Amino acid sequence: MTALPLDPKDGGGRFPGFDAQRQSPHWDRVTQGVVLARLGRPTDLRFFTVAEEAAARALFDQLLDQRHEPRVPVVNMVDARLAEEQTDGWHYEDMEPDPAAWRSTLAELDAEARERQKRPFVELSWEEQTLLLTDIQAAETWRGRQASRVWSLWTRYACTAFYSHPLAWDEIGFAGPAYPRGYKNLGLNAREPFEVADARPAQDPAAHTAKSRTGRQR
Amino acid sequence: MASVKDRNASAWLLPPVPGTNHAMRTDMAQFRDEEEVDVAIVGCGAGGSTLLQRLARAGWKAVALDAGPFWDPERDWVSDEAGSHHLYWTEPRIISGDDPVPLGSNNSGRGVGGSMVHYAGYTPRFHPSDFHTYSTDGVGADWPLEYGDLKSYYEDIEGELPVAGEHWPWGDPHSYPHSPHPVSGNGELFLRGALASGITAKVGPVAISNGRFGNRPHCIYRGFCLQGCKVNAKASPLITHIPDALHHGAEVRADSMVTRIEIDDTTGKATGVHYVRHGRARFQRARIVAVAGYSIETPRLLLNSACKRFPEGLCNDFDQVGRYLMVQGAPQTAGRFESEVRMWKAPPPEVSSEDFYETDPSKPYKRGFSIQTVSPLPITWAEHVAAQGHWGGKLREYMSDYVHWACLGALCEFLPQTDNRVTLASEKDRNSMPVAHFHYSQCDNDRQLMQAAQEAMEKILQAAGAQEVITIRRFAHLVGGARMAADEQHGVVDADCRSFAVPNLYITDGSVLPTQGSANPALTIMAVAARAANRLIAGGASKTT
Repeated sequence: MTALPLDPKDGGGRFPGFDAQRQSPHWDRVTQGVVLARLGRPTDLRFFTVAEEAAARALFDQLLDQRHEPRVPVVNMVDARLAEEQTDGWHYEDMEPDPAAWRSTLAELDAEARERQKRPFVELSWEEQTLLLTDIQAAETWRGRQASRVWSLWTRYACTAFYSHPLAWDEIGFAGPAYPRGYKNLGLNAREPFEVADARPAQDPAAHTAKSRTGRQR
Repeated sequence: MASVKDRNASAWLLPPVPGTNHAMRTDMAQFRDEEEVDVAIVGCGAGGSTLLQRLARAGWKAVALDAGPFWDPERDWVSDEAGSHHLYWTEPRIISGDDPVPLGSNNSGRGVGGSMVHYAGYTPRFHPSDFHTYSTDGVGADWPLEYGDLKSYYEDIEGELPVAGEHWPWGDPHSYPHSPHPVSGNGELFLRGALASGITAKVGPVAISNGRFGNRPHCIYRGFCLQGCKVNAKASPLITHIPDALHHGAEVRADSMVTRIEIDDTTGKATGVHYVRHGRARFQRARIVAVAGYSIETPRLLLNSACKRFPEGLCNDFDQVGRYLMVQGAPQTAGRFESEVRMWKAPPPEVSSEDFYETDPSKPYKRGFSIQTVSPLPITWAEHVAAQGHWGGKLREYMSDYVHWACLGALCEFLPQTDNRVTLASEKDRNSMPVAHFHYSQCDNDRQLMQAAQEAMEKILQAAGAQEVITIRRFAHLVGGARMAADEQHGVVDADCRSFAVPNLYITDGSVLPTQGSANPALTIMAVAARAANRLIAGGASKTT
């Protein structure tokens, strides 16, 4: 499979030729089974309704900036988790358990889009979608919920799916599983023979932001 | 002191290659439900497994029931972050309060070995000051025992895990049985930054053998400690106490969810435990019951065991069950370096500092925090980045910079508060048992510690040369919820972990801790359970002959 499309200004192409999958013969068999399954045919959707699927696809494309194929099939991966109730179990007293929270927040996302532009979220332009999400992220409350909890629900599932995928590892220089091989070369600027040096070490994404930032979990 | 092998032969009972001694499990004792065992232990984590091993060695007929599986690391665990979700307790729970605490991941375990299966491996001792914070500082609580009462148990457990690290200068200064591990780029930067800013940092203490230990191999520095150690290098009770327990005739009954403790209304004593296994409701008779389900499930089980004698919940005559539940504030601060750090290589637990552990009279807050290396894998790192508000292209760009970041974590001593507690919700789980509702709010002292810890970590990283720092505020660990105290009006159990209300009911897990220090709790939970076991054995409490 080819690399995920990512603009160099967004960090694309920093590890030329690096391919985490090439290491798979060195992984133990159980781990191979789990990780390589993510490269196979995505599971059929079982949880999301058609309308939810449309909203979720557009939402995940935005959150992870996946504008073109090939994509990590995030919507299928999240759908599988929700269908199998592979959640963390807990829910806020004033919010539903995750599967129900997904259904209701996607419905609210479409409702918000219709109120603004008389079309569901998926039918908005990329820029209109971005603007709507930017507003939700900045809000204190959104459609009767704490906005940060909705945002956290969406980003948590999106990031967990995306950064479990070997193609995503390729663009961050992470070689994935390391058993039974382990590492030999620890330390600053020390690399294993299969690791690739960052081609643009000066591309510091934090360079033009405050020197110190803080956020909180969930 | 007898050699470790003479006290606990677990490491010598494992196969000489990574994996499990399957014969020990198939040949293990199987007690009948109708047979009154000497002790039925609920939960097979740090506390329950230690108690099981000690009592089995003393000749007790002992069975430990665990709600989760009896892990086979070679089959069940993977060297992968997303594929390790099944290591967590993900049954339904409700959270609330001003600072609700997400559960079901780093702070909860499942199956034989408990949360030590996926803990990082840090095993610091508590400091002597931890045992009387109320007398000294007017905050927290005094334990009904002192550091000296636990010291020999700390030494024993450190030998059995075993713990590797430099000579430890903080608290009660002590050494470790294994020498310190080599450090990676992340640990190197912590040591460099600490030195430059006048802070003492030391390598360790981690429960990862450095060199062969029995049949356990050397660590291979693969960095997936939080996904369960397939190598058998990192300690968890699954490999440090369960093998020896089985060898001495104990039974581990996995996949068994205990739903209620039975009390005889005429004698007021526990008679055994109700549990569900493979869909069938069963009852195991026992002369003594010990609960070790950790800080959420232990109170839940006690509250769900209400009966005629205890209408408000077992051992809850004074409304103490479920209260004073603590989490540690665990902010993580990452720094960006021009060099490649590749912090995921090598175990996340490497270097710590306890310079800020004790109350500093020049500060407006009481008690303190510790600082340790952490090294998040990609998904956890994405959470750290997303917490700064980044998404879309900016998130991908930050993530592409992963190789350049080093990360430290603090553990802040959040104080025990009466309203931070577990109650039963109206919602039920698949066993028709009410789910736990965990209400949590921080106090001012907690917030000040969180801020101070962040500033200290920023200072260290900047002294090491970090160009930018980003912090995520989060929580780690649970203790309390059924605390030990001097009397039944202030706690649930006494210093020996025996409940005040039911003479043959014990609680031997993290829920008995009255305070938490800024130490990772696993070692202290094991030491408290080992001490309780010793007291039980010495007292000859109702052993079948």
